[in-house]
Amino acid sequence: MASLASARWLRVSRGLCVPLTARWTGPCGRSPSSRFYSGSAAVPKVEGADIAGTEEVVIPKKKTWDKVAVLQALASTVHRDTTAAPYAFQDDPYLIPTSSVESHSFLLAKKSGENAAKFIINSYPKYFQKDIAEPHIPCLMPEYFEPQIEEISEAALQERIKLKKVKASVDIFDQLLQAGTTVSLETTNSLLDLLCYYGNQEPSTNYNFQQQEQSEELEEAAEEGDHVKSKKAAGHQLRVIWRAKNHAERIFALMPEKNAHSYCTMIRGMVKHRAHTQALSLYTELLNNRLRADVHTFNSLIEATALVVNEKFEEKWNNILDLLKQMVAQNVKPNLQTFNTILKCLRRFYAFGKLPALQTFREMKAVGIEPSLATYHYIIQLFYQHESPSKGSSLIIYDIMDEIMGKKFSPQDPDDDMFFQSAMRVCSSLRDLELAYQVHGLLNTGDNRKFIGPDPRRNFYYSKFFSLLCLMEQIDVTLKWYKDLIPSVFFPHSQTLIDLLQALDVANRLEMIPQIWKDSKEYGHTYRSDLKEEILMLMARDQHPPELQAAFADCAADIKSTYESQDARQTAPEWPASSLNYIAILFLRAGRTQEAWKMLGLFRKHNKIPRNELLNEFMDSAKASSSPAQAIEVVNLANSFSLPICEGLTQRLIADFSLSQEQKEALGDLTTMTSDSDSDSDSNISEGK
Amino acid sequence: MFPRVSAVLPFRPLSRLPLCSAGPEAAAATVVPLASPHGTVRTKSNIQRYFGTNSVIYSKKGDKSVANCEISKETENQQSIKENKKKDLVNIIKGMKVELSTVNVQTTKPPNRGQLRSLEAAIGRLQKSPKDAPQKSKSLSPELVAAAAAVADSFPFDKQTTKSELLRQLRQHEEDWKAQKDGEKPKISFSNIISDMKVARSSTVRASTRPVHQIQFDEGADDFVDREKTADLRKSFRKNIYKGKRLNIFELKAVTEEAPETEAAPSLWDVEFAKQLAAVTEQPFENGFEEMIQWTKEGKLWEFPINNEAGFKA
Repeated sequence: MASLASARWLRVSRGLCVPLTARWTGPCGRSPSSRFYSGSAAVPKVEGADIAGTEEVVIPKKKTWDKVAVLQALASTVHRDTTAAPYAFQDDPYLIPTSSVESHSFLLAKKSGENAAKFIINSYPKYFQKDIAEPHIPCLMPEYFEPQIEEISEAALQERIKLKKVKASVDIFDQLLQAGTTVSLETTNSLLDLLCYYGNQEPSTNYNFQQQEQSEELEEAAEEGDHVKSKKAAGHQLRVIWRAKNHAERIFALMPEKNAHSYCTMIRGMVKHRAHTQALSLYTELLNNRLRADVHTFNSLIEATALVVNEKFEEKWNNILDLLKQMVAQNVKPNLQTFNTILKCLRRFYAFGKLPALQTFREMKAVGIEPSLATYHYIIQLFYQHESPSKGSSLIIYDIMDEIMGKKFSPQDPDDDMFFQSAMRVCSSLRDLELAYQVHGLLNTGDNRKFIGPDPRRNFYYSKFFSLLCLMEQIDVTLKWYKDLIPSVFFPHSQTLIDLLQALDVANRLEMIPQIWKDSKEYGHTYRSDLKEEILMLMARDQHPPELQAAFADCAADIKSTYESQDARQTAPEWPASSLNYIAILFLRAGRTQEAWKMLGLFRKHNKIPRNELLNEFMDSAKASSSPAQAIEVVNLANSFSLPICEGLTQRLIADFSLSQEQKEALGDLTTMTSDSDSDSDSNISEGK
Repeated sequence: MFPRVSAVLPFRPLSRLPLCSAGPEAAAATVVPLASPHGTVRTKSNIQRYFGTNSVIYSKKGDKSVANCEISKETENQQSIKENKKKDLVNIIKGMKVELSTVNVQTTKPPNRGQLRSLEAAIGRLQKSPKDAPQKSKSLSPELVAAAAAVADSFPFDKQTTKSELLRQLRQHEEDWKAQKDGEKPKISFSNIISDMKVARSSTVRASTRPVHQIQFDEGADDFVDREKTADLRKSFRKNIYKGKRLNIFELKAVTEEAPETEAAPSLWDVEFAKQLAAVTEQPFENGFEEMIQWTKEGKLWEFPINNEAGFKA
């Protein structure tokens, strides 16, 4: 400001003070003449601005960056590498998993290592006290799980509640009561919370990944099999059941005054541990005491109403509607969980639940609650319960996808990660590729890929997607997806590879088969006999140009060696007859006659019957190489198996080959034997009929 | 049958329904409109069902022209029947009247069936009380026989044939009645009623889903041809998920207005729920930068750009 005033003054007395004005222009870096024109025009009062200039320089506000902003920017530049293993597996190259089983055990091993380290640190905290990190890193220091306060007081009770020690808390509570001190309502309520949430048992410490695994298996069994039954059957092992007269009930009964929170937490605990009728009766008690339940309690009550046994679907639905009306009467606002719980319970009502589900969904939209992915998941499950679309399936999936295309979701419900799996299952059963592309597009929108769920679900999703591609898409596009997805996103099952082979067959691209076989070996399917048979069958079905035939023969030799190594490992060797046939044919067609003739020996060894075409081809090959000994070998083989074709072969042998005398005599014996055995076999057949 | 018909007498001047279809059900049916003049359509259909079944039963009688006359004749013979029986019948029919008026209230299956059963029981009692043998024997009660004989006598026609005809009709009627009482009759009538009612009630369900079910497009067969068709079909059936009736329980403003709630500290339930939610979107890291982001959030890694004074002024 002072500089401005002085500048003006200097301008006025221009003639005298040119050097001074020149001095003043120094820091601004502008010619003095321009300033004179502006005179005493209004000058923007921004710090450091050009004093008399017409241009305004606006200094922007200082930006504050998130602490992870730089890293996020860097992460956005990195895309998935389709030729590399996923980042989580990159450790020692020898240990990089190559099949889904290996990847599962890899991740488990990693996680269990972390848990073991944490366990050691927390068990022996006195050895891990040295802290050299600046600034201090709290999460690397040992955690204290032992309560510090020893005397019997409310503070001790609160500490134990915080440390989630169920038994210790109950003991201290009892001691406090015996000593006559009253425990405050809040503390009692938090004790009730602890007891009700964990069902009067200690929270398990290995909670994290084993629990999740078991619930995964449960859900998969429930998805594929019968919903209600498998959940009930398997749920008994996992879930804690609310026993009568447990600590929670006892303490609840001892409380001199109970507020709404006490009732609510008891109700929620009972429903969580499957004591539905008790929860409902406790709710009536709450109403009798003129208390008001909160929205979470109502959500639990809705679940309890739907799970009560021995009631019809209509009655249960009417009860649920009653509960909702009571919510309105008590001025309790519903939330997303309310509607999601209703939809989840309607799933159990099978066909009856369809109309109520639609009504619930419309209500939710009308009230302004935005549905989450879990909502759509429940609706899909309800409307597409059976696999077969033959009964005229609903068009709801199309409406849903039209609605949510392009939306980015955030986690709002624990079941949000089940949507993509069920959507892809429906696409697969409807055989709709466009819809599958839409679903996949939604998955890649924004951050939605986080909702794909844990490993088994991700594998299911991609397996179904890829099988649908094999079925419906053109082969070039399918192969592009193959290179993109496998193995960087998921490891294929043998069934997926068989689907791919069939797609190649349909598109007449059988030359890719040796490549697929090599890939199959990498993904751990070396010893899958159905896959190998499929490969061999496709290769051996038709005649092919020579190079391709040679490639096929190499592939067949490789497969043969896998069978042999399998033999070496097992005591009972198991070569399927069809494989032997195909391998032999492929060798013959490629001109590898030596190995082909060795195959004949294998037939005898494993006691498998060669097919007629194979024997004819062998005769052709013997004729081509003009070796009657080989031809005789063929006939002997046919004879030893008492095949009906033996006659024809013998005649052909006599006709086409020039035989020496002993050979003819041997053949003569053979023919008599064969005629005898033929007649025997004929009579056997006639008797058998 | 005759005792039942006697019950019709006191109500006859008030009945609105034609007497040619007289019978216990008719008695009950005539009673019902009296008891509830605002009879709903459903009960009327109830009655009509009764009439329907009645016509089955009484068709044999209705063929005969004597049927109509015979009732009036029968009324003259009522004097011969004991007084207490008449009183019993009157009481029972009064009871039937009361029970049937509750049929109007609900149209669900069980009460109706209960009502019909009580009706049947009453009728069965009526039927059985004059009879001595409750089995399905062909014996008729002596009063009935006597009444039939009296009727036959009063006719100018051939008495023997008339009497035998009447007795035969009676026997057949009783057999039919018994068979249908024990058999399927109530279920048939009520299941017809109920199924009709159910169709009317849930027609919205059928209407909304029938067009959907009718679109039996098989995606497996011919995709490209059907695709445009299904797209058009979809547009024309847009009402599936977004249009249509809702529950009408909650109001928009009631939900969106912020009720002043006391914010308690998050309880164990809330904390655990938040943890579960966070676990939903847990995925293994896609690249090293994501791992570093996670470490930065946990506090294990310095922030970028490096701030040399991080953690000094806590």
